[in-house]
Amino acid sequence: MTLTKAEEYKLLHLLLDMGEMMMCSGGEVRRVENTLSLMGKAYGATETDVMVITASIIVTMKFGDGNLITESRRVESPGSNKLWRLEGLNALSRKCCESPLPIEELELEIKSCKQPANLWKFYLGSALAAGAFAVFFGGNILDGIIAAVFALLVCFFQRKISNIFPNNIIFNIVCSFVVGVLICMATRFIPTTHTDMVIIGVIMLLIPGIAFTNSMRDILVGDTISGLMRLIESLLWAAGLAVGFMLAILLVGGIAI
Amino acid sequence: MNEIMIQLITGMLGSLGFALLFGLKKQYLIVAALGGLLNWGLYLFGMHWWNAIFFAGLLASASSALYSEIMARVKKAPSTLFFITSVIPLIPGRALYYTCSNAVMRNWEEAKSYANITLQYALSIAAGACIIWAITLTIDNIKNNKKIN
Repeated sequence: MTLTKAEEYKLLHLLLDMGEMMMCSGGEVRRVENTLSLMGKAYGATETDVMVITASIIVTMKFGDGNLITESRRVESPGSNKLWRLEGLNALSRKCCESPLPIEELELEIKSCKQPANLWKFYLGSALAAGAFAVFFGGNILDGIIAAVFALLVCFFQRKISNIFPNNIIFNIVCSFVVGVLICMATRFIPTTHTDMVIIGVIMLLIPGIAFTNSMRDILVGDTISGLMRLIESLLWAAGLAVGFMLAILLVGGIAI
Repeated sequence: MNEIMIQLITGMLGSLGFALLFGLKKQYLIVAALGGLLNWGLYLFGMHWWNAIFFAGLLASASSALYSEIMARVKKAPSTLFFITSVIPLIPGRALYYTCSNAVMRNWEEAKSYANITLQYALSIAAGACIIWAITLTIDNIKNNKKIN
């Protein structure tokens, strides 16, 4: 497929959009690099150099007409749980590698991958996960139900107020503190419930599982810097939620001190 | 026995919950739920056999990684989707909580032993997955080299 110069620039920009979205929806560094190189090849670039670290993407493409173009992108908030976007982009890149879509169509397809969360699934899934894990770790049915209710609150916070905090560590501290205080009070007034089991159920939702897993994979395949960035980030997020819940317990005195 | 059944069922529901939360397609939900069941089932089996958290976790994590690589190839979707949802029961939420709560109560001995457990789980997840990834990446490279030659 031969492109005009304007289309080459447009394609480069779209590839960066794609890479950024993958980074922000749970893709590993190697996956993003591979996808973008394959896409470049599919669109007829003779060389595609992709450099991704957790916070930035740089792509240089060389086309048959000798046109050499580079664009870089700062990735603001890598690592979240919007895995459905990753799935959509993966399917799109497979499709393009088989037979490249025209540039306008590619743009539309990438936009359609950026669909927001299915709220119904998001809330139901969180409630189910927190409730199930409260019981899994030894709570009773009532603990599970209370954990499910507070999971809805956590989701509400994640959706509505997570963007007002400077970073995820502070969000985790505040969110887990507020939720922790409410859980301590609720379990104190409702008999036969266990504060610790409800909190553990809710903790499972906030633990940065994707970031931790991706960091290991990054390190294993040789993207050491990106992996370490993610690893340290995920440990700090976990520390943030531990701090928040412990402050809550200290404040309410859910445990006798 | 009863406790084991409860753990298996809730572990499976937990994986299903995360699959919903991550917005996976309908046809992947059952894959994720079965992954969670397989993961925890093998962990319990390993605990019964060796009675060591690290080795049981290693077995469970490695089998989840293998499961997710196979599913990724069958369903033509990123393996991350299936690995994260199926390995979730191994995540040491409980151990992490008790580490902190004992530290807050100044029960240093208890806190230390829970910290040890938390670390064992985390390392077993990492080690188990890395073993499988190292193998699958090597196989992929061999395949690619054959294509080029």
